Amino acid sequence: MNPVFVIAGYVLREAASRKFILAFMVGLTLVLATVALSLKLEVVDGALAATRLFGEVVRAHITSVDVALRPIFRAAAYLVFYGGILFGIVACSDFAPGLLSPGRIEHLLALPLQRWHLLAGTFVGVMTLAVGGTVYAAGGLTLIFGVKTGYWTMGPLVAGGLACVGFAAVYAVMLTTATLVRSAALCSAAGFVLLVGGILAGFRTDVSRYLEAGFGRTSFDAVTLVLPRLSALAVGAADLASSTPLKPDSLGMLLGGVLVFGLGALAVGFWHFEGKDC
Amino acid sequence: MDSRGRRKVWLGGAVLLFAVAALLMFTGQGDELPPPAPEVKFPSRMRGTDFERAEKRRTWVMPTAQDAGVAAPVKPRDPLLAALPRGPGRTAVVIEANALRHSPLGELLLDCLMRDGGKNLEQFKALSGVDPLQDLDRMVITDEGLILSGDFSKARYQELLGERVSSDHGPGARVYEPGDTSIALPDGGTRRGRMDNAVGTWNDQMLVLGRNPDEVKTVLDRMDGRGPEEGPPLLDENSTYGEMYGVLAVEQLAKLLGPEQAELAQRLKDVAQNVELHLDTSGDVAMVADVRGLDEQKMTDLGKSLGGALSMARMKAQAEGNTEMAQLLDFAKVRPDGTSFKLELAVPLSAIQEQLAWCRKPAGSTPPAP
Repeated sequence: MNPVFVIAGYVLREAASRKFILAFMVGLTLVLATVALSLKLEVVDGALAATRLFGEVVRAHITSVDVALRPIFRAAAYLVFYGGILFGIVACSDFAPGLLSPGRIEHLLALPLQRWHLLAGTFVGVMTLAVGGTVYAAGGLTLIFGVKTGYWTMGPLVAGGLACVGFAAVYAVMLTTATLVRSAALCSAAGFVLLVGGILAGFRTDVSRYLEAGFGRTSFDAVTLVLPRLSALAVGAADLASSTPLKPDSLGMLLGGVLVFGLGALAVGFWHFEGKDC
Repeated sequence: MDSRGRRKVWLGGAVLLFAVAALLMFTGQGDELPPPAPEVKFPSRMRGTDFERAEKRRTWVMPTAQDAGVAAPVKPRDPLLAALPRGPGRTAVVIEANALRHSPLGELLLDCLMRDGGKNLEQFKALSGVDPLQDLDRMVITDEGLILSGDFSKARYQELLGERVSSDHGPGARVYEPGDTSIALPDGGTRRGRMDNAVGTWNDQMLVLGRNPDEVKTVLDRMDGRGPEEGPPLLDENSTYGEMYGVLAVEQLAKLLGPEQAELAQRLKDVAQNVELHLDTSGDVAMVADVRGLDEQKMTDLGKSLGGALSMARMKAQAEGNTEMAQLLDFAKVRPDGTSFKLELAVPLSAIQEQLAWCRKPAGSTPPAP
């Protein structure tokens, strides 16, 4: 078997043994079950005519079901995007430092694999975890609303995919940080910094206007030009989830950019780890 | 490849990837601020300008019967509102002609009207002495006829209606019976014709057009507080918001729905009592229809049916690739509220601009088929 997948399997087994991640999955299941059991939606000729939550009538207007569900799918997309990245930063921060810790790294390096296989395997393992969680959350939500309203859309699932690409960029930086310092806290910190930087990068034009012209603004523009525009991707994910028309060809380029940034960050990690004296 | 060689590849690859990423993200998002999301303001209540407008129109003090007692002070009223019909099942729709003319929609409609360079309008002004764009303030469509309000001091009543039988009807009011009309042409000739409508004039401020003199007299009587009809006018001052507003008899509305919605029209007639309309054209064209009935359950069901019909229309538009119509119906919603519900509909101005684009083309080009 490809050594990358061997390491990925190792990471997944490690994740499965963690109560934190299991508790998250149970929590997610409970939330989905609560939504499924407590929410009653009355649909008349494709219009959402009445909503009951825990038996109480929710005062709302009557409108097309897809239009009515837009704010819900939009909110869910943001929750999956930012919530997923935040949870991923916290939950996955010590996978790489643990793998690279003294004792274990020597054992792994004794195996017939190259150094970059270790990082790539960890990355693939964590991303498998992220994709699984996202498909479970976004798919569950789509299924619940699809069954209850008869309106089926791939929007939330695609939005979840976009969230995974955003997390891939963040986790690539965390993984690269782990090759520099074997600290889960510092890996988390790097993830948070990139998340905040990515949010700012998405709004760089707005933010830049409020900075005084000169070195500060130029530096800000230069740094945020390279950073992954996570907030812009989140807006695109929400637009997709809520079936809002997008600017033609804009999302594909943005998505590609964030993905390529992640690969770039991973390449930096490979470069550093290759020359590291473990 | 040895370790050093691989490191060079990784580093070179990383730099290249970062550059490509920056380029892709810059191309994808760009550095232009996104346009603000479309927002439609639905007319739901009187605003500051509406109150000011209503205040200025309180000019008419209704005559009161003199007796030996002390007369209570009479508040001035809007004469046009006083002239409106009373009671259920009646229709009165007010078009704020002056406000509409100065709205974006009015500008578009004016482009259509002036395609001939304003020749017809000039001709009308020369014949009647009235400039509709300046002198006309409001137009009311009722089930009895038409009421126009504004400044008609320059109107040539004598030249236009002089040959008809006419009589005074209370202070400042005159009623002209249907009859022959002669219009002096600019070339010195005269064009004769017949007008089957009775016309009433009131203080150079109002023109009333009706099918017969009795209908015109009824309108003028209501203004003076005479007449047999009791109860308040169909519209009170607090409902005079928007560029078009009024009360529509349910029967009239049911007729507007057409044969395709016969079932819905019947339910509307069975359940609803009246429909109050408000149209705002200050930006995008937004309409609110307040449908009132007596039975809460039946009204809720009617609201659901109406919401369903709108949803089906939207789905049909989507399925047929009519994205413009689908987008218009995105704004459509029904807001149930006990024994009444509000129906909201909007048409983005850009869509109307597109539809009326032919008006900006040179005269002679034909409008597109509907």
